[in-house]
Amino acid sequence: MKISRLKKITALAGAASLAVVASGCGGANAEPAGADNPITLTVTTFGQFGYDDLYAEYEEQNPGVTIEANNVDGSANARTDAFTKLAAGSGLSDVVAVEEGWLGSIMEVSDQFVDLNEHGAADIKDNWVDWKFEQGTDPEGRVIGYGTDIGPQALCFNGDLFEAAGLPTDREEVAELFGGDDATWETYFDLGRQYNEATGKAWYDQSSFVWNSMVNQMDEGYYTADGELNIEGNEKMRAQFDLLAAGTADGLSANQKQFDWGNGKAFVDGSFAVHVCPAWMLGTIQEQLESAGGGPETGWDVADVFPGGASNWGGAFLSVPATSERPAEAAALAAWLTAPEQQVKQSAAANNFPSTLEAQAEIVETAKPNELFNDAPYGEIFASRAEGVIAQFKGPDDSVIQENVFAPALKMLDNGTGTADEAWDEAVTLLNDLVVNN
Amino acid sequence: MTTTLDRPAASSAAITKPRPTFRQRLNVFDVKASPYLYIAPFFILFALVGLFPLGYTFVVSLFDWHLLKGQGEFVGLQNFREVLQDRFFWNSLFNTMSIFLLSTIPQLVVAITIAAVLDQNLRARTFWRMSILLPYIVTPVAVAMIFANMFGEQYGLINNILGAVGIDPVLWMNETLPSHIAIATMVNWRWTGYNALILLAAMQAVPRDVYEAAAIDGARPLRRFFSITLPSIRPTMIFVVITATIGGLQIFTEPKLFDPRTAGGTARQFQTTVLYLWEMAFQRQNFGKAATIAWLLFIIIILFGILNWLISRRIATSGDSRNGGGPARRRRRKRSATPAVVLPAVGPQPPAPAADQPPEPPVETAGRPAGTTPRRGT
Repeated sequence: MKISRLKKITALAGAASLAVVASGCGGANAEPAGADNPITLTVTTFGQFGYDDLYAEYEEQNPGVTIEANNVDGSANARTDAFTKLAAGSGLSDVVAVEEGWLGSIMEVSDQFVDLNEHGAADIKDNWVDWKFEQGTDPEGRVIGYGTDIGPQALCFNGDLFEAAGLPTDREEVAELFGGDDATWETYFDLGRQYNEATGKAWYDQSSFVWNSMVNQMDEGYYTADGELNIEGNEKMRAQFDLLAAGTADGLSANQKQFDWGNGKAFVDGSFAVHVCPAWMLGTIQEQLESAGGGPETGWDVADVFPGGASNWGGAFLSVPATSERPAEAAALAAWLTAPEQQVKQSAAANNFPSTLEAQAEIVETAKPNELFNDAPYGEIFASRAEGVIAQFKGPDDSVIQENVFAPALKMLDNGTGTADEAWDEAVTLLNDLVVNN
Repeated sequence: MTTTLDRPAASSAAITKPRPTFRQRLNVFDVKASPYLYIAPFFILFALVGLFPLGYTFVVSLFDWHLLKGQGEFVGLQNFREVLQDRFFWNSLFNTMSIFLLSTIPQLVVAITIAAVLDQNLRARTFWRMSILLPYIVTPVAVAMIFANMFGEQYGLINNILGAVGIDPVLWMNETLPSHIAIATMVNWRWTGYNALILLAAMQAVPRDVYEAAAIDGARPLRRFFSITLPSIRPTMIFVVITATIGGLQIFTEPKLFDPRTAGGTARQFQTTVLYLWEMAFQRQNFGKAATIAWLLFIIIILFGILNWLISRRIATSGDSRNGGGPARRRRRKRSATPAVVLPAVGPQPPAPAADQPPEPPVETAGRPAGTTPRRGT
């Protein structure tokens, strides 16, 4: 409390100017790494990346390379970390994990990252699903990130709670219940009302995850493909907002705190019965259940269905900042970590879904059923959910819009302190204050 | 070196005024310059890490400056104009003031009370003193995490207890005043003990014979506390108030970690000014405006500092302001060593209780002097 933030922020500004001097001394070291020329590569990841074993394997295969790993606890903090160091002009690791949500900001300064085309990106381009590779390419065609995982969305549901409400519990029947391939949000909310009537309990944990899913599956989200803001007067978006607002007004939201859930208790005590599940969410839920002392008996399961069709939420990239003194070695490490073989191992370790076609195919074949989710065939379900996903353009302020513009408006709905109109107006006001007139 | 050419002239001058030897000159230099050299490290460091960033921040605040894209156009005072019209900036100032008042006032009252209790002749004195300092040792991050958990709206300990006695859960994070109380609680928990120790040290410096004299004159413990203890520790109180003010205006960790996903609550219920600065810099990426907020906060803190100084000067000189500024100030410094200042305050008292209740004083003085006014070995 007594530490001067003022000083910190000013020191940061000072560091930025010093960095101009420092960056002149950098320069790539041409001599290749080897046992007699040992080098150290630093890597910064966030959340659950599942890379620990892979680092060791890489070090073994490449004598002379030492990997110093740093893992930030979550995407939001990783963003602050990366932005601070970008602003300061120094301090970034040789390999930095970038999340899809703030990739738009990074793209604004894509020249501060190494063009991976110079290190053979074109040769491995076909490894990835098209849209993932495109996301990591800037408008000038420079490749600044290799995709790690993607977040195709399926629907998690709690079998025990479904049973108590007289709903089917078999995951295939549940998929049918929601409408199978033609599942719509209308059905999703109607089932919620039905569930709420039978049990008096909430249907989903809180509104903003549902909202993220809705927006992510639109052809154009907060921005048009040309990079224009696409919220005010967007009737399609407004219609979805009203749908969600009506559901929340009917008591379908448990008004939980996102990424907190009472330290996971909400997943154990039956507060809500369905949850939007991008592949990586299974890892998050697992963590929550562990912290609340729950296990497979809590009844969670995942169904191969998603309202409104295919949707992708999240996924990451590995980038090499221009400040790296070892861009060639760093790019090689990033390419190795994101190669299909390693993605399979990452997926097993971190419960996420790979972004390369080969790895996806292998996961379908070999991935062990997920015990925590009632032995759900993890690979099969998410491979099926990844079909039809389209890459949506993410603008520079996408994460601000999600967290600072819509989150407060949706919280109004959850708290019951505003109607759909009031909440939407609040979102538009915030948009103008925070983004348009920033 | 060139003086060697003028040797004849110099030596003739040396007759009237002997030319100082190298040693002598070194001595003069030592006396005149050394003190500055001794303090130079601090000032050089301060200029590097304090003054330069301060100036640089001001430069940044005059530009359109994107966090990642860097320096943009020169906009003059445009950023200041916009921030001063920004409702969120005023909201953050309101929150800061509210949390500041909610933390500082109860904190001081409780700290003085604890200090007064510890000033008594307790058993295991060191144990108690160290115990109240314990919260201060705990890192604020841990404090914030534990308290955020306790103040959870649906699963928090406090709402559970309230629920057990039939009180509706309080929305500790979604409503403004409760959230301020919750954050002020964290601040108080952490700083009360620290301030109590500082005040205790001041209380121990008050000569015990003053208390004895007052007790003999019939002043009861409460009276002695208000008429002797409080006036004597005034300079220390001022110090505590000033540090609490500066700290309170810069509060960041507690509100940030109270809800780590947001920058001070979903609807900025507890977004303090520094937190808003953080949001501006790292979420909205507007470094120019963030620098502006930093400067505005700096100015506000300076204004508070001046206000504090004025008030404290008034308080400190209130006893003898008629004597004029200069001597009064010198006398004030002496006060901390001798209890002269308390005497005028104590002076008029004894007659009053003595006149009101004649039988009391003997009982007081006979029964308690040893217990209430012990002389500390420390």
